[in-house]
Amino acid sequence: MGSVSPDGAVSASQPLPPPTPSEGRVVRTTNYVQTAIALVPALVPAAIVVGIAVTLVLSTGFHNFGWGFFGPIFNSNANQFGMLVFIVGSFLTAVPALVLSMGIGLGIAIASTTYLPRWLTQFLDPFVDLLAGIPSVVYGIWAFVVIAPIFGLLINPWAVMHLSFLPGFASNRYSPTTAGTGLPISIFVLTLMALPITTLLIRDALRSIPKDLWESGLALGATRWEVMRRVGLRHSSRGIVSAAFLGFGRAIGETVAVAMVIGSVTKYPTNVYDVTWTMSSFMFQILDAAFGNSLYLSALAELALVLLVITLTVNIVGRRLVSHIYAEEVAGI
Amino acid sequence: MSAAMPAPSDDTVVAVRGLTVKSKQRTILDRINLDFPAKSLTAVIGPSGCGKTTFVRTVNRMVELTPGLRILGSVFYLGQDIYAPGVNPVLVRRRIGMVFQRPTVFPMSIFENAAFGLRLVHEDEAAIDRAVEEALTRAGLWEEVKDDLDRSAFSLSGGQQQRLCIARALAVRPRVLLLDEPTSALDPFATQRVEATLRRLKEEIVLILVTHNVTQAARVSDRVAFLHAGHLIEVGPTADILERPREELTQQFVTGRFA
Amino acid sequence: MATVLSTPPRRLDPEDDLRRGATARLKWRTGFDRWVGYLLPLLFLIAIVPILDMIFYIAWQAVPTMSWTVVTSQADYQAYDALGVPIITSFYFISLATILSVALGIFGGIATAEFLPEWVAGWIRTSANLLAGMPSVIVGYFGYFAFVLYFGWGLSFIAGVFTLAFFMTPYVFRTADLAFSSIPRHIREAALGSGAKPAQYIVRVGTPIAFPQILTGVFLAMAIGVGETAPIVLTVTTNVLVPTGIFQPATYLTGLIWTGYAQNPGSTPYIIAFQAAFIIILVVVALNIVVRVIAARFRKRLEGLYQ
Repeated sequence: MGSVSPDGAVSASQPLPPPTPSEGRVVRTTNYVQTAIALVPALVPAAIVVGIAVTLVLSTGFHNFGWGFFGPIFNSNANQFGMLVFIVGSFLTAVPALVLSMGIGLGIAIASTTYLPRWLTQFLDPFVDLLAGIPSVVYGIWAFVVIAPIFGLLINPWAVMHLSFLPGFASNRYSPTTAGTGLPISIFVLTLMALPITTLLIRDALRSIPKDLWESGLALGATRWEVMRRVGLRHSSRGIVSAAFLGFGRAIGETVAVAMVIGSVTKYPTNVYDVTWTMSSFMFQILDAAFGNSLYLSALAELALVLLVITLTVNIVGRRLVSHIYAEEVAGI
Repeated sequence: MSAAMPAPSDDTVVAVRGLTVKSKQRTILDRINLDFPAKSLTAVIGPSGCGKTTFVRTVNRMVELTPGLRILGSVFYLGQDIYAPGVNPVLVRRRIGMVFQRPTVFPMSIFENAAFGLRLVHEDEAAIDRAVEEALTRAGLWEEVKDDLDRSAFSLSGGQQQRLCIARALAVRPRVLLLDEPTSALDPFATQRVEATLRRLKEEIVLILVTHNVTQAARVSDRVAFLHAGHLIEVGPTADILERPREELTQQFVTGRFA
Repeated sequence: MATVLSTPPRRLDPEDDLRRGATARLKWRTGFDRWVGYLLPLLFLIAIVPILDMIFYIAWQAVPTMSWTVVTSQADYQAYDALGVPIITSFYFISLATILSVALGIFGGIATAEFLPEWVAGWIRTSANLLAGMPSVIVGYFGYFAFVLYFGWGLSFIAGVFTLAFFMTPYVFRTADLAFSSIPRHIREAALGSGAKPAQYIVRVGTPIAFPQILTGVFLAMAIGVGETAPIVLTVTTNVLVPTGIFQPATYLTGLIWTGYAQNPGSTPYIIAFQAAFIIILVVVALNIVVRVIAARFRKRLEGLYQ
């Protein structure tokens, strides 16, 4: 058939047909039809998110509450819907809880990755993850029945006696309620609930420190603490900040457990032990009472929007900071 | 302990006697005896898995970071057993520095990288400034970075980063510098610069260089130690080992029969 | 082992002296590091003690009052402590919600892992994460406005099921996505390269490999769903005995805790609250154990896959 010439070239016995017109065109690799069909189920979560937002927007009835919406006075009977009280309550509980859970989470993560032997961390780490699996309402009943009395009868009075020189720590009674509900226990509960997120994310961030980098620090004559503090934390800073954002999102969105221990009173706290209400717990408990009152419902829908915007923002920023998409191993965080 | 080993001269900075490292499965190093005199560069060569990385890591007590290893024998620094109880490994690592295979610069400025080891101990800013400049000069990096030391270390090229790591290690004025295949992640140009630095440094301190590249050993080292499967097969002046080895195994490795 | 070589001891610079050269500062640094190593691990107690206390206290409160009759009796749980009705309704709740959420989430997850270009997939995954991170009260409000009011279903069983399902969907979605995304590339390429259509690959090759992971994800989503309160309470009342139809209200175990926790200790609602809490904990723990068992068994079977 063909022949081989002296320089090794192979040729056919007949000349090759001219190239077909399809050659030379750009080859498209995306199958648009396939992608379109795939998008339908894939967009379900996005659709739900949008649906939630749209529903809430519609439910506000587009009442223009104006900037008075963020006003300080809330009196549903007088049709005054200033939500500032609840926003303040949310932040007063979530921010300290975030600080505490970040601090504890950082400590646990550092201990787990740097100081404890492997077998021990494998045993202890799941306990922190287990905290994430406990339903909010179970936290709440335990906190209300077991822990709140401790706050009401022991911790709060002790603090009044010994710490009243600090701003806000003085009180003319030991505790507004000796049941112990109010800010301190709410912060306690939120700290515990945000702890799994912060610890898990910080632990992941620390685990991703390259071994070489770590050993370089030690090889220069530094102690483990020094390497962690000066090199490790810097290297993992993005992951740690992300943990803060996502932990805050959890703390401020937490509803039922807080509702059970916050005291559920519409007031600005006068001291650190006082009862109050947060956005989420207020929304949860008051929906019944707003039944039929369309103005009230609109206001609540708008409050829900505020909470939604805060949560979405915090989550988006927090997740942008890390490159992996699903940081948590579907532990329900 | 080998009584038959010649007593090391006053000149010896590091002396290894009967060093054996065992894991649960196997013996990684078997009764190594080796001396490292002052102002020299000893290349430790051998096929992969022969234990050369483990060997250098025993010299600055980094090997104890790997769990499950047993260390027998002694490593002497200026006549003192570094594994003696009561010796703080942090102190050992200050006198015996290490540079790793990949450039491991810290996420800080060039200055802060070089000053890292100093800041742990000193607080005098002026002294730190001087020491950083001296270290960068010794590492052959000063001219290239002196204009902006506050730049992030990541803005340097790979070869420059590795020289920064050398400077960082030199800043605390160790007498010994361990280098574990420091140029294997670098391109030929960067390798050249690093080798030039090593040739200069061997006039000042003791360098122990692990390398899989026999020609690199030929270029920079005074002495070569050949390890195989955890045993020290042969050690001697570079020219002797590479051109006129006494052992068959050495001859085979050096001529590239096995890698 | 001698601590000093038998050569004439030489004069050492102070900084070279390994035994006496340790400055006070070095000792302080080393000591500090050591103490940090002792104290930081104690922080684990902050996580461990509450969990154990929670579980044991609830068990302590609930177990003495529980018996088979309590669990199965169909009597009025508001007057007697009888959990039969809420348990059955909860069972229906979670089953339907799971089926719905799997239907909603699993196809999207697989589609995202297999068919979508990376930049689109990124946005999709972000939306799934956002949905998962949404406070339960907001999902509950959505359910209320959308299903109870606009759709006109009223406070009903069906509204609760849909709301809960929407809440659980992102978890199933993420799991399916992760499960298929983590199939080693070479398996996927081998299948597609030998002429399989993507659908065939998914059904014949991908699903058997990803199945255990997806199953564990579904169970975990169920564990979350069982514990949720807000989506249900807001869309279904908790004061009804036996639901008469899906457009009627019904009860959920978590709702019982919510109404009973602040009542007088010893009163029926209070006792029921603890019993319900105990059952919920049992279910959650059981689901978690099942998840671990599945994960372990199938990890062994698929060991050779990931080499």
